[in-house]
Amino acid sequence: MNHSTIPQSLHRPLVEQILAKAATIILGKGPKLRLSLACLLARGHLLIEDLPGVGKTTLAHLLARLLGLEYSRIQFTSDLLPADVIGVSVYDRAAERFQFHPGPIFAQLVLADEINRATPKAQSALLEAMEERQVTVEGKTYPLPQPFFVIATQNPLFQVGTFPLPESQLDRFLMRIHLGYPEAEQEKALLAGEDRRALLGRLQPVLSPGELIELQSAVGHVHVAPPIIDYVHAILQFTRRSGQFAYGLSPRAGLGLLHAAKAWALLEGRDYVIPEDVQVVLPAVVIHRLVGGEPGQRIGSEEVARLILEQVPV
Amino acid sequence: MTKANPPLERPHRQQILWVSLLVAAICAPFVRYLEPSILAFIGLILGVRLLALRWPKALPNRWLRTLLALAGIANCLATYHTLNGQDGGSALLLSMLALKLLEIEGRGDLRLVLILTGFVCAVLFLFDESFLTALYVAMIAGVSIVLLVELQGGLPGDGLKTAARIGAQLILQAIPLTVVLFVLFPRLDTPLWNLVQDQAKGYSGLADSLEPGRLSELVLNDDPVFRVRFAGERPSRRQLYWRALVLRQTDGRRWTQGESGPSPSPLAQAEGPIDYEIVLEPTGQRWLFALDLPLAAPEGSSLDPEYQILADQPVTGLKRYRLRSALDYRTAEPDEAARKLALELPAWILTPRLRRLVEGWRAEQPDDWAVVQQALAYFNREDFYYTLLPPPLGPNPIDSFLFETRRGYCEHYASSLAILMRLAGIPARVVVGYLGGEENALGGYTLVRQSDAHAWVEVAISGRGWVRVDPTAALDPRRIDRGPGTRLLSAGPVRLEPENTSGLVRWARNLRLFADTLEATWQNWILDFSAKDQRRLLERLGLGDWGEYGLISLMLIAVSLTLGTILAVLMHERKRQDPLDRLYGRFCQELARRGIPRLAHEGPLDYGRRVAVSKPELAPWVEGFLGLYLPARYGTQRGPETAQALARALKRRPWRPS
Repeated sequence: MNHSTIPQSLHRPLVEQILAKAATIILGKGPKLRLSLACLLARGHLLIEDLPGVGKTTLAHLLARLLGLEYSRIQFTSDLLPADVIGVSVYDRAAERFQFHPGPIFAQLVLADEINRATPKAQSALLEAMEERQVTVEGKTYPLPQPFFVIATQNPLFQVGTFPLPESQLDRFLMRIHLGYPEAEQEKALLAGEDRRALLGRLQPVLSPGELIELQSAVGHVHVAPPIIDYVHAILQFTRRSGQFAYGLSPRAGLGLLHAAKAWALLEGRDYVIPEDVQVVLPAVVIHRLVGGEPGQRIGSEEVARLILEQVPV
Repeated sequence: MTKANPPLERPHRQQILWVSLLVAAICAPFVRYLEPSILAFIGLILGVRLLALRWPKALPNRWLRTLLALAGIANCLATYHTLNGQDGGSALLLSMLALKLLEIEGRGDLRLVLILTGFVCAVLFLFDESFLTALYVAMIAGVSIVLLVELQGGLPGDGLKTAARIGAQLILQAIPLTVVLFVLFPRLDTPLWNLVQDQAKGYSGLADSLEPGRLSELVLNDDPVFRVRFAGERPSRRQLYWRALVLRQTDGRRWTQGESGPSPSPLAQAEGPIDYEIVLEPTGQRWLFALDLPLAAPEGSSLDPEYQILADQPVTGLKRYRLRSALDYRTAEPDEAARKLALELPAWILTPRLRRLVEGWRAEQPDDWAVVQQALAYFNREDFYYTLLPPPLGPNPIDSFLFETRRGYCEHYASSLAILMRLAGIPARVVVGYLGGEENALGGYTLVRQSDAHAWVEVAISGRGWVRVDPTAALDPRRIDRGPGTRLLSAGPVRLEPENTSGLVRWARNLRLFADTLEATWQNWILDFSAKDQRRLLERLGLGDWGEYGLISLMLIAVSLTLGTILAVLMHERKRQDPLDRLYGRFCQELARRGIPRLAHEGPLDYGRRVAVSKPELAPWVEGFLGLYLPARYGTQRGPETAQALARALKRRPWRPS
């Protein structure tokens, strides 16, 4: 399939429809919703980091419903085993052989809830599946469904009883977003309004999985002009050479940044990327991959993004 | 620091290390010129800097730094009693430069250090202008340019390699301009920094008097005194008597110049003329060296009756002069006054045995010249030894040398012969200078070192004028001390050739000759390039009458030509720039003139929005332009007509073009 069957001009109404519906459930988080959608369209996995109860799970559930995806949820706990994620082979007495019972990861949209509560062993089982988009058990390889997304949520690292994800694994997530507390108006509306779960249950999908795949492939066809490549490269170079960070961004981060910018351009109804697209997605894509230059240094995420954006000329 | 400041780009540890090492490297040559207290301070600061790279806690805080700075200034003041002048100023500059290394907040600080390093490079030339120093400074300057480029950042991959390439390009581009400025920049006849040169600076070399022990100090000194280029054949070693000073007065121990007589009488006979050019190292003295005997004094100096050449000014910089000497000469007869002066003797040194010795010669030979020969034969026959480590002489040095110790070197022999001759009634005087010199076939010149210092005697023989007599040459070669000290000995005609000319010795000798050739070439072409050469160049170009103005206008023309060429190349590059970029650049320029400049990191759409908010009347024009520009620049729709459409959109600005 080389070209999207949906004409470019139709992408925008479709996207706007998704976002409009989403806004009825999660109030006042328009830009965050847009970013998460861009992340999914760019075939990236999403990490939502925030305190419990600000609507992380609801957001994941909402996206699954709207995009018409098969949804499963894994609650990560400290005694979770890799088999609990991937699945397990059980001896079938009747067939006289081992039968593979797929785990909850075999779904189009997997919500990995509170991923930092599980041990590194269980975490890496999930992260490997995310990267490979397939699962290997006892020498046999099982492909994961298409499309395949992981939305992981994570409590802030300073809470007790957590195993923070190492930087190398954070790199697997295309974006990391914070939801934050709702604004006063929205919070009052939330308190006054109907139960979100009931609302979710009534929500009708806007897209079919086929249409979603088409949208994703349309992202691949968004045009990237040489100046954009130069700009992204300059950003990567800046993080490597400025001396502000222990490690600069990896090439994978650069690819992710570009891909997310393409998805964002598509959401904006354009078939080419402009520098602003890169700038908009940069905080979500880049910050969780950077570590401050001096040990123990914590740079506020907003500052890091502003620093990079202001230092690199367009 | 206020919040509005842009975040400082913090330098890498690696970069701090490079810059610190570079500062250490430029400080290193000053070890020869600055006092130990200054060097110790600089060394301490550099040490702290390097330690702090490993343990950042070692870095002093602001208060401590202030204290250190005060300590540095106090140190300079305590050592030199001034912060001005060549030594005090350099000490202060170096101390503060080292201190700055402890205060590296951002890359700007490192840049400052590198630029100051360049300044220190220039200061180093106040102390030493030799070729090796120039080479060293060039290396340091090159490295600091590369580091400056590297600090600018934004280089791909291994930044240092790219920086080195860019640095090399920059240096190559600067060469034409450097050559133009070097050749044409009007210069003073003496280097400017002679004005600040410390008067007390010590020069080694001959002094204006002779007493035992003076010359032997020089024998171990290998410093070059001057280099000679002969126009024709190089005369034989035995003729290379380089005359400096004539000493006519003695108190029995010490020989001094005494008063000078009337103007020189011309030579009665002068044959075997020889032309040569001398490049003299700074001596701090006025006398110039010439081969026996000079026929005329070069410009800016005068010839006195004793055929000494005195320059009008002490030689504090490199001095080049041409001379003609006659190797075969006969001076005019000294007049009565001169004869009288050349016979004076202090009475206290005359002992009976001294008188007996001379009277013995006189009794045998009535002829003056025969008496001289007697004296030389006496030195040869009796057991006189040539040694650099003579035993101490008694209260009457002449008597004690001739009859007791009988060990000495050229100045003992010259001094005693002159006294003996005066005692015999023959006018005599001592001449101090250099003898011989090392031939450098590679460079085509002869190098005379301090160790070639020598003293000989001139006696006045009626009918022959002043005749040169070298008593040291009359010694029996078997009585020359071949001890360890004499291996370096080269004063006098008894210079010893190295006995085993093995490969290594020859190689080392050739290497030394080669290094000196480089030095001489450097002096010839760079250091000695003076106002005179510039005038000659102008004359050759037919602009001789224009003088300084010709030089300045020539320089301006050459500089503009060079800069123009560079500019033309840059313009050519600009023309190759994408037309869309150019149009967008003009769009931004127009708006900047209306008071809304684009921020460097601002994308076109954000910029357009900002303009629309602050100047709504411009919004339609901005939207119109960006509506065409964005898809053309970043999208796929782009043809030859796009640029034209954009140019039209640009012209539709809602104000009259200025």
